[in-house]
Amino acid sequence: MSALLRARRGAVVVFGLAALTPLVVRDAYFLDSLVLILLWGALSAAWNVAGGYAGQVSIGHASFFGIGAYSAALMVTRFGRGPWLGLLVGVVLSIGAGLIIGVLSNRLKGPYFALSTIAFSQVLLIGVSRWRGFTAGAEGIPVPFRPGFATLGLGHTGWVYMALSVALVCYAVEVYLERSRVGYQLAGVREDEDAAEALGIHTRKLKVGAVALSAALTSICGSLWAQYVGFVDPTYVFSVDLSVRFALNAIIGGMGTALGPFLGSILITSLETYLRATFSNWDARFAGIYLVIYGTALILVVRFVPEGLAGIAARIRMRKAHA
Amino acid sequence: MDPARRLGPAQIDVLAQLAVATVLLGGIYALISVGLTLIFGIMRVVNFAHGEFLMLGMYLAFWAFVVFTADPYFVVFVAIPLFFVVGLVVYGLVMRGVIHASHNVQIFTTVGLSTVLQNVALVAWSGDFRFVRPWHLSTVLRAGSTIFNLTQVVASLIAVALTLALVAFMKWTHAGRVMRATAQDREAATLMGIDTDRVYRLTFAIGIAAVGAAGVLVAPLYSVYPTAGLQFVLLSYVVVVLGGLGDMLGAMIGSLIVAAVEVAGSYFFGVAWKEIFYFILFILVLVFRPAGLFGQRGAETLGV
Repeated sequence: MSALLRARRGAVVVFGLAALTPLVVRDAYFLDSLVLILLWGALSAAWNVAGGYAGQVSIGHASFFGIGAYSAALMVTRFGRGPWLGLLVGVVLSIGAGLIIGVLSNRLKGPYFALSTIAFSQVLLIGVSRWRGFTAGAEGIPVPFRPGFATLGLGHTGWVYMALSVALVCYAVEVYLERSRVGYQLAGVREDEDAAEALGIHTRKLKVGAVALSAALTSICGSLWAQYVGFVDPTYVFSVDLSVRFALNAIIGGMGTALGPFLGSILITSLETYLRATFSNWDARFAGIYLVIYGTALILVVRFVPEGLAGIAARIRMRKAHA
Repeated sequence: MDPARRLGPAQIDVLAQLAVATVLLGGIYALISVGLTLIFGIMRVVNFAHGEFLMLGMYLAFWAFVVFTADPYFVVFVAIPLFFVVGLVVYGLVMRGVIHASHNVQIFTTVGLSTVLQNVALVAWSGDFRFVRPWHLSTVLRAGSTIFNLTQVVASLIAVALTLALVAFMKWTHAGRVMRATAQDREAATLMGIDTDRVYRLTFAIGIAAVGAAGVLVAPLYSVYPTAGLQFVLLSYVVVVLGGLGDMLGAMIGSLIVAAVEVAGSYFFGVAWKEIFYFILFILVLVFRPAGLFGQRGAETLGV
């Protein structure tokens, strides 16, 4: 156990600090940023399960996020039940959707797979926007705040621990994929599918399974996000931008590494919070500046440091070890 | 401003109207898609930022109209050289370094480019919906039982003319032959003394010039806003996959198919649902004929 902690000391520091912060800091603004960092990190970790570990690079993960968000919001507003039940329904629906996407686009590679995932999220976007009677269409749904754990009406401190729990779950899944037999098989599929197949690995099953698992985790985060933010609308929750964002944190932090998505989220989310606060005083549209920086960062990172922040850290460690 | 919405009184021959609407819309979709398929086929890169160049073309038409009261159909001839240069610059700055990189790097490079361009437009020109309303938009043409407005007809004619010019360029000029040779086999082309870097640069610039011109042409028919490119680019992915990667004639046929699906879908099920039909078509094609309707089987697993 202590060996594991030592090997994962980066994670211990990141999650430990997150756990201790609410004990010291009472500033609502700061705690809000922390919740978002953890939630975006968890979402990117969920994306990483399919994109990083299984090599199924999706630009349509907003599909599952939206399914989760809408399931929770609709369960509360239309059926008068708790958001937890909505979260569960979202997970089931997302696994279903993940299986459908996984099976349908199993043969597709690289850009073709990315395109089919985009198309899927667009179908959901159009469907949810047009089905006014049930989903309230493009207007979106305000989610009422009812205090209590069962209704997910938590204070800032409560939300930090809620987001931290989800982050830890996603992180644990990633660590499992790094150390288990299934994880090694997935790496084989990612690196050379034909070779993996020749070794008797069920590549098809593994890829579909990874997408479904990733979908379930994304959906959980989506449900929580809906309750935290208190508003769900289709043009945001199913947007391509959102799908890109999940991928972006993971790529900047380090694709296919367990801590990478969280490192990426710390960097990008705090940058976003800072720039939003700085520029929104001038003019609302200047909030767009952070997206310009974001996009530029993405271009530069994939070109010059494709292994991301986690990769840089590993490189430095290697150099130290050799020196 | 959907063409199909202009279906007039019930007495007109619906089928004729739908057919003409399909052809007009298909012509415009062809010009949007032909640049994408060219870049896809020769450079083996899916340009996820393609729609943003279309959006920039729309803004060019808007500002030329507002500032100089210039008609979009003159502006289009300025747009072609202008976007050609834009294409050269973007190739040099962004694309050149990733042309031999992995799919993931290429996907996220163009996705990043798309985010940057969208938000530069947002910061520079705000998120307001803008409209280009030249005089010919309210001029109605009648041919037999079908009615259309002049803008749409002219836009479609110019688009088809430009698309055909590009097809002719690829078929009969030396540069076109060199580009096709590179598409067929990069290594063999290099061995024959072809400078593939120059080919890619030219390909990218031509592709961007085509979609920029298309943006100017469609500006009067749709509203102009920073994410306007998205709906068109998604549609042109459908066209390109339907037609087979890099296949320009395939893209033209694919455009007609997508236009037909859109026109028929909005007539029978309402405009609100029209996009859902071509996305479903897209998913079906990706699943059952990922190499396109006329493409070679297995192209999608070759790693494009």
